[in-house]
Amino acid sequence: MKDFELGLAKQVLRLRLSQMIINERYKNGDFKIPIHLAFGHEAIAVAVDSIMEKNDKMILHHRNIHYNLSRVRGLKATLEEYYLNKDGLAKGKQGSMNLCNPEKNIPYSSSILGNNLAVGSGVALGQKINNINGVALIVVGDGGIEEGSFYESLLFQKSNRLSVLIIIENNQWSLATRIDERRCEININKLADSLDVSYIKLEGNDLFHYIKKLKEMREFALINETTVCIEVKLTTLGSWYMKTKEYPNGKFINYHAGPAPTVNVANGPVITESKEDPVYVLKKYFDENTLKTYADELLTFLYEDIK
Amino acid sequence: MKYVEYVNSLIRDEVIKTDRLVLYGQNINAGSCLGGLTRNLKVRKNSKIINTQNSENTLVGIGFGLMLNNVSSIFFMKQQDFLLLGIDHLVNTYNIIRLNVPKASFTIMPIIVDSGYEGAQSCLNSFGDFCSIARIRGFSCTNKIDTKKIIKKHLISPGFRIIGVSQRLLKQEFLDVDTIYSDRKENYFQYKNGSNVTIVCFNYALPYGLNLYNKLKAINIRASLFSVNTYSEFDFSPIIHNIMKTRNLVLIDDSKSGNLLSDSFLFNAVDQCVIDKKVIVKRKLSKNWFYPRPDKLEINYNKILKLFKS
Repeated sequence: MKDFELGLAKQVLRLRLSQMIINERYKNGDFKIPIHLAFGHEAIAVAVDSIMEKNDKMILHHRNIHYNLSRVRGLKATLEEYYLNKDGLAKGKQGSMNLCNPEKNIPYSSSILGNNLAVGSGVALGQKINNINGVALIVVGDGGIEEGSFYESLLFQKSNRLSVLIIIENNQWSLATRIDERRCEININKLADSLDVSYIKLEGNDLFHYIKKLKEMREFALINETTVCIEVKLTTLGSWYMKTKEYPNGKFINYHAGPAPTVNVANGPVITESKEDPVYVLKKYFDENTLKTYADELLTFLYEDIK
Repeated sequence: MKYVEYVNSLIRDEVIKTDRLVLYGQNINAGSCLGGLTRNLKVRKNSKIINTQNSENTLVGIGFGLMLNNVSSIFFMKQQDFLLLGIDHLVNTYNIIRLNVPKASFTIMPIIVDSGYEGAQSCLNSFGDFCSIARIRGFSCTNKIDTKKIIKKHLISPGFRIIGVSQRLLKQEFLDVDTIYSDRKENYFQYKNGSNVTIVCFNYALPYGLNLYNKLKAINIRASLFSVNTYSEFDFSPIIHNIMKTRNLVLIDDSKSGNLLSDSFLFNAVDQCVIDKKVIVKRKLSKNWFYPRPDKLEINYNKILKLFKS
């Protein structure tokens, strides 16, 4: 692999290890704010970061740690923000769910489902008014697209020929409810098609495949002044089983927010040996020893950074 | 000149002066153009007028998104009731925006439906509720002078605010009354100075207050007349000092809100002043207040005149 690809793989590892360090502190009860970790979301975040050009803007939702970390090189500023310290990324004024970084092209993050779709539409219109050749990348989840603003925003973006990529992180869960427990399936492809909006689906956490497709879609959105819906199938790792009287064998708890009790930095960066884990998928391109060496180096760097 | 014509001319004057401005809303350049409010809008080449879809929630968010990209905008709205759909952005999005000092302007300009006969829906007429929910700056336009100052200074100015126009008054001749004083933030205006009674109007009640002023004058009772154009707490002391001198107060508020700035004002006045006579004119909402009925504030002028004459 070339240095470029190696660098990207390191980014995935850095996002994973950074979150693991935060998770350890979270388990210790260090944070007063709610943090939504994104174990398992690292590949799409690194891919989005790598295709972003200087005029692109990213508009995030409450689970934004992976995108925010992808846009900075260390962990300290993010960690300080989570402690609400003045040295934090947003001077301790935003915490986690609303964390923005305008200098790194993240002007807005919302903790309200679907809220950022409207704001992102405004950002995209602003690009057009300012005559800027850039896209708005709006990140939502499978819960966010249940809000009416998803349809309203698609309609506005299409009607006004705005260049937008909507990244739909579909982890199947909204808090403790699976999609099939709360609603019928949404065929995003058909819904998008009804407005002449393009759609692609990404799954498998293959970083380099994601980058290739995202680059294509970014160009397509810019040239055609259109929106593209990109559904990313993924799993938010860190689930666990809670034993209660009613469930003596343990009740499945899908990770939503808070510390992930089953994830431990001492066990290394891989959480699960399957395609659900973007770090594990890296083994398709890199041998285990190389990844371990990088992980050790990165962990040293991160601990040094936050010392 | 009619209220709507005057407001429209002021808007047209301001928007043509501004670069990279987005004017948007439903029907803003179609049909009646919101009853004439947005008729014949012209913008510079690098600006845009968008006759939008019907998606108020998203449209409010879009204004804030434009702000984040340093583009100013005005969202014109046929009825303030529609803004209920955008409350998420008025609170949650605005609270993020205000963490930093915005360079761009975002103004929502709704028509306050205070004309009556609308029925169970579209009868909200509670501008103050929208403002209080996130301490949003709001301005009512009641006459030529306050409207000119408010629109020239605030329509396109860094930050976010709501500037409301009254549907009840839109087709009427616009009040043209001289001011004695206006505070520098356009929170309130003083129109008359008298030593016998202090009349303080809230929301769009100035025409009622002016009517009362004239009736009092006819029986040689000199009144001071104030109109409060905003919906958030401000320094009431100049008006309070006037009440201290007159020791008589008439407070008129024509809003339907249960959350009135005038209540807060009244608390301050009663707390700080010795008041000999006071009249509070507010909505007395019957249990049928949301039926299609007139929205006019009922004022018994004779009773007030009798009280102050005695």
